[in-house]
Amino acid sequence: MTSSRQGNRNRVTLRRTLITLLVLLVALVIVVGAASLLGSERLPVSNSLCALTTLGTRQCGLTSDQFDILFQIRLPRILLAAAVGGSLATAGASYQALLRNPLAEPYLLGVSNGAAVGTMLALLFFGSLEWSRPLMAFAGALVATLAVYRLARGRVGATPERLILAGVIVTTFLSSVIVFVTTLMDATRIRSFTFWLLGDLSGANTSLLPVPIAVAIIGAIILTLNARSLNLLMLGERDAFDLGVEVGRVRMTIFLVASLLVGSSVAASGSVGYVGLVVPHLTRLSVGSDNRITIPSATIGGALFVIIADTIARTVIAPRELPVGAITALIGAPLFIYLLKRV
Amino acid sequence: MFFSSSRPSKTVALLLLTLMSASACSRSSAVLNNPSTHTRRMLDDAGREVFLPDRVDRVISLAPNLTEIVFAVGAGRRLVGDTTYCDYPIEAKTIEKVGDTQHPNLERIIALRPQVVLVSTASQLEVFTEQLRNHDIAVFITDPHDLEGVFRSIEQVGEIVGNAEQATALVSMLRGRAAAVDNALKQSPRIRTFYQLSAEPLYTAGHDSFVTDLLKRAGADSVTANVPGAWPKYSAESALAARPDAIILPTGGSMGEGNGTVAKALAASPAAKTGRVYKINDDHLVRPGPRAVDGLEEMARALHPEAFKR
Repeated sequence: MTSSRQGNRNRVTLRRTLITLLVLLVALVIVVGAASLLGSERLPVSNSLCALTTLGTRQCGLTSDQFDILFQIRLPRILLAAAVGGSLATAGASYQALLRNPLAEPYLLGVSNGAAVGTMLALLFFGSLEWSRPLMAFAGALVATLAVYRLARGRVGATPERLILAGVIVTTFLSSVIVFVTTLMDATRIRSFTFWLLGDLSGANTSLLPVPIAVAIIGAIILTLNARSLNLLMLGERDAFDLGVEVGRVRMTIFLVASLLVGSSVAASGSVGYVGLVVPHLTRLSVGSDNRITIPSATIGGALFVIIADTIARTVIAPRELPVGAITALIGAPLFIYLLKRV
Repeated sequence: MFFSSSRPSKTVALLLLTLMSASACSRSSAVLNNPSTHTRRMLDDAGREVFLPDRVDRVISLAPNLTEIVFAVGAGRRLVGDTTYCDYPIEAKTIEKVGDTQHPNLERIIALRPQVVLVSTASQLEVFTEQLRNHDIAVFITDPHDLEGVFRSIEQVGEIVGNAEQATALVSMLRGRAAAVDNALKQSPRIRTFYQLSAEPLYTAGHDSFVTDLLKRAGADSVTANVPGAWPKYSAESALAARPDAIILPTGGSMGEGNGTVAKALAASPAAKTGRVYKINDDHLVRPGPRAVDGLEEMARALHPEAFKR
C-alpha cells in the first residue's frame, strides 16, 4: 500500500463528510422516533408523535401514564442505547485504526471487562455513591487497555497477533475476577449482576443519564479531531512519526478517550458485545476507511445499531425483557461472519 | 463420540481418577436400581422414577426450603449436609455445608455418603445428577408451582425419610391455616397487586411461581399472574401501565435491607400514592417450604386488615 494510493483514496472532501453525517443523523432521528412508538405498552401514534415533536412540553392528549411511559421510561432508555452504541462503536473504530488491527474491539481487548470489574468494585465498596461507578469503570478500562498494550509490545513491537492474544488473556483473567467477585456477593444481588453483565439498558432513567450521553458526544468529537493523525498512523508508527505525528501523545489521547467511552457505557449498561466490532466494519464498507469520516459515522451507526437491538430486546417477548447484549451478539456474530467472508 | 479427540478423553480419565471413581463409570445403571438395596420407588416433580432404600438415615438438602421441610417433618438429625443459604431453623446453620444452591461441591457430597440428595427445581445440572446416581445416591427433585405443590413436597420428603405421618399432620395443620385465611377473606374485595422481586432490574413473580398462587389466596389479583415463567424480568412501562393498587416487597429476611423501595416506574402508581406498599419477610415468600403459609397469612393481613379485625 503506497502512500500516494492511500492519499488518493482518502482524499475526501469536507463536503462528503458532512453529507454522510447529515444522512446518518436523519436516519437517527427517524429510528429514535420509531423506537419511541414501539414497546410493551401501545401508545396512540399521532398523540405520541405530537408530544415528541414538542419535546414533552405539551401532553397532546396522552394520559399522564402514557406521557410518563414515553418520557420517563422509553425515551431515556433510547437515549442511553444511543450513547452506549455510539461510545462503543467510536472506541472500536479508534482502536482498530490506532492498533492497525481489524479485531481490536473493547470487548476482545479486555477493556469492557476492565470497566465491568471497576463498576463491580465501586458497587461493592462505595455502593451508595452513584458517581463512583463511571469513575471506577473508566479506571478499570484504562488499566486493562494499558495492560494489554504493554503485554502485546514485544521486542518487535505490537503485532496484531500478540495484541489479540494479550487481549484474550486479559479478558479471561478479568472474567475470572468477575466470577470471583460475584461469589463474594450475596445471592440476591447475583441475579441483577448476571443480567447486567450481559448488557441491560432498563436502568436508564437516573440522574446519571447525561453522563454517558455527554461522554459519547465529547469523545466522538475529540477522536474525530485526531482522525488525521490516525490516518497517518495506519501507515505505521515510524512513517507517521516522520510525517510529523506526535505518536506518543496521540496514542495516549486515544487510550484515555476510548477508555472513558467504554467506561461510561459499561457503568451504565454492562457489557454490550459486538458493537465495537461490527459497526466500524460496516461503516468502513459503506463510507471508506478515512477516519475523518469513519469515526463520526461509526458513532451514529453504533447508536442506530443499539437502539434497534434494544427495541427488539424490550418488545419481542413483551411484557418480559431480554438483555440487549444477547440481541447485539445474535445480530452481530452472523453479520461479522458475513463481513469476514465478503472481504 | 462426544469426546472423540484424544485430549478431552485424557482429561475425562484424569477427572475420573481424581474423583477415585474409575470403577463407578464401569458400573451399569442396573446396579443403582438394585432391588436388594433400593426397594422403594417414588416419582419426583421432574417425572423421574427415584429408587430409595427402605430406611433413609443420611440426607443432603441443596435448597433452603428443603432444609426447612426436612426439619419440619422431624428428620433434622438425619440431615448430613445443606447449603450456605440454609439458615432456618437455627440448627440448619451448624449442618456441614456442601456449597451454595448453584454450586454444590460434588466431592464433599459424595464424601458425606448420603442416601438421598434433595434438589429444588430441575434446573440443577443433569451431569451432576448422573454422577450421584453412579454412587448409588438417589436424587429427588421438587418443583412446586403452587401451595398444593409445596404441601406435596412436604409429604414427599416425609415419605422419603419415613416420617410420613408427621408430614401428613404438618400438611393438614398448614392446610387448616390456609383455609382460615380463605374463610376470613370471603367478603373481601380482591386487590390488584404487583409483586416486586427486585427493583433494578425489575423482576416479578410470573405464572409458574408458587407466589402467584399465594397472592391469589391472599385476596390479591397479581397483575403479572399470566406472564410466562416463574421469575420474569418485567417491562418497566408495563408495570407503570398496570397501575397496581398494592405492591408487595419481599425484603427484610435473607434479602436484608435490599428491595426496600418501590421501583421508579411504580413510584406514581395508586399503590405508592395511597401508601399500600407492604414489606413481607422474603424468606417466607421465596422459599416454597412450611413458612410459605406464614407468608400467605402476612400478605393477607397486610392487604385486608379489616378481614382479620375480629
